[in-house]
Amino acid sequence: MRKHCTMSELLAVRDGEGSAWARAHLEECPFCQQEMDMLYGRVAALRALPAHRPPRDRWAAIKAQAVRDRRTTVVRRSAFGALAAAAAIAVLVGIRGIGVVGPTPASGQTELETLMAQSRQLETTLQTYDPAGRVLNARAAGVIADLEDRIALVDAGISQMTARNGSRDDLISLWRDRVDLMDALVNAHVTRAAYVGF
Amino acid sequence: MTRAAVPVIGVLDDIAVERAKTGDLDALERVYRSYEGLVYSMARRICRSEEDAEDVLQETFLEVCRSIRRFRGDGPGSLTAWVKRIAASKALMRVRREKYRDADDLPEDGAAIGVNDVDVPLQLDLEAALMQLPETSRMVVWLHDVEGYTHEDIAEMMGKTVSFSKSQLARAHTRLRGWLGGEH
Repeated sequence: MRKHCTMSELLAVRDGEGSAWARAHLEECPFCQQEMDMLYGRVAALRALPAHRPPRDRWAAIKAQAVRDRRTTVVRRSAFGALAAAAAIAVLVGIRGIGVVGPTPASGQTELETLMAQSRQLETTLQTYDPAGRVLNARAAGVIADLEDRIALVDAGISQMTARNGSRDDLISLWRDRVDLMDALVNAHVTRAAYVGF
Repeated sequence: MTRAAVPVIGVLDDIAVERAKTGDLDALERVYRSYEGLVYSMARRICRSEEDAEDVLQETFLEVCRSIRRFRGDGPGSLTAWVKRIAASKALMRVRREKYRDADDLPEDGAAIGVNDVDVPLQLDLEAALMQLPETSRMVVWLHDVEGYTHEDIAEMMGKTVSFSKSQLARAHTRLRGWLGGEH
């Protein structure tokens, strides 16, 4: 028969999970009560340890890296968008040229080209609002961040679809999504610009 | 219980946080200044060396800079919890990467307290005793008993079971109790 609580049992009692035996034993055992007091004292002492301060200021290094990350992201997005567009065109030309899936209906081809042109136009429009150079209010920042994330996902989808020669209808659907999201993004910037008086 | 270990956090209003979300570097610096002590202090308790803690500090705030626009919390308390969570994850990754001494050499916690405890009390001070613990045990005792994470949180962060977290906590206290006796 055990004489005293184990540390696990004491911790369980402290955290409200102790067994009936451990709780009853603790009620009547001065030794375990003392151990429990020491446990509380130890935790209090841990919490009271003095704070450490960083020996060096790391902000300059963090800021420099953050700026590099941001530039890399912008370049990657631009390159990715251009690559996806070029790849989509190449797929179209290839499909038409070798006739793998038969003649491409003119309406589908036209729709895809129209969507890509609209997307490019919206990109150009967006640049006129200098999205990186202005302070956003809280709500606008949240909306814009969400839209940018969703556009990045669609871009990834276009890239994957193009790489594996996916169906033209799916590609059109993705480009349509991209145009809709870009349109919403431009509107978000326009609304914000009007709000701050530009 | 008061917590003298908590560094003073500077004033960080909602506007500054929202500006930080847009990538404003001045606002991000304010976030850094507000939390650098908290993050470094936690990292210093968990990691073995000052250099590792500095690396955790830097990795944490790089992650904050990258991800703050997705932060959806409301109020300074949730931002603190968010930053601390990133810091804890970075510290854990650092500990894993460095392959510090494992906790496996600790005795099993099967014996009743004080009965079969063969450790001779070394009368280490608490700071030194804490640093003598293996990283895993030290991380669990710090995250659970000081930072207030649940065993479920810790198990999730470490990719272990709740039982593992509880076991590590008991082992850490058994060892600390042996080293420190009744004196803290």
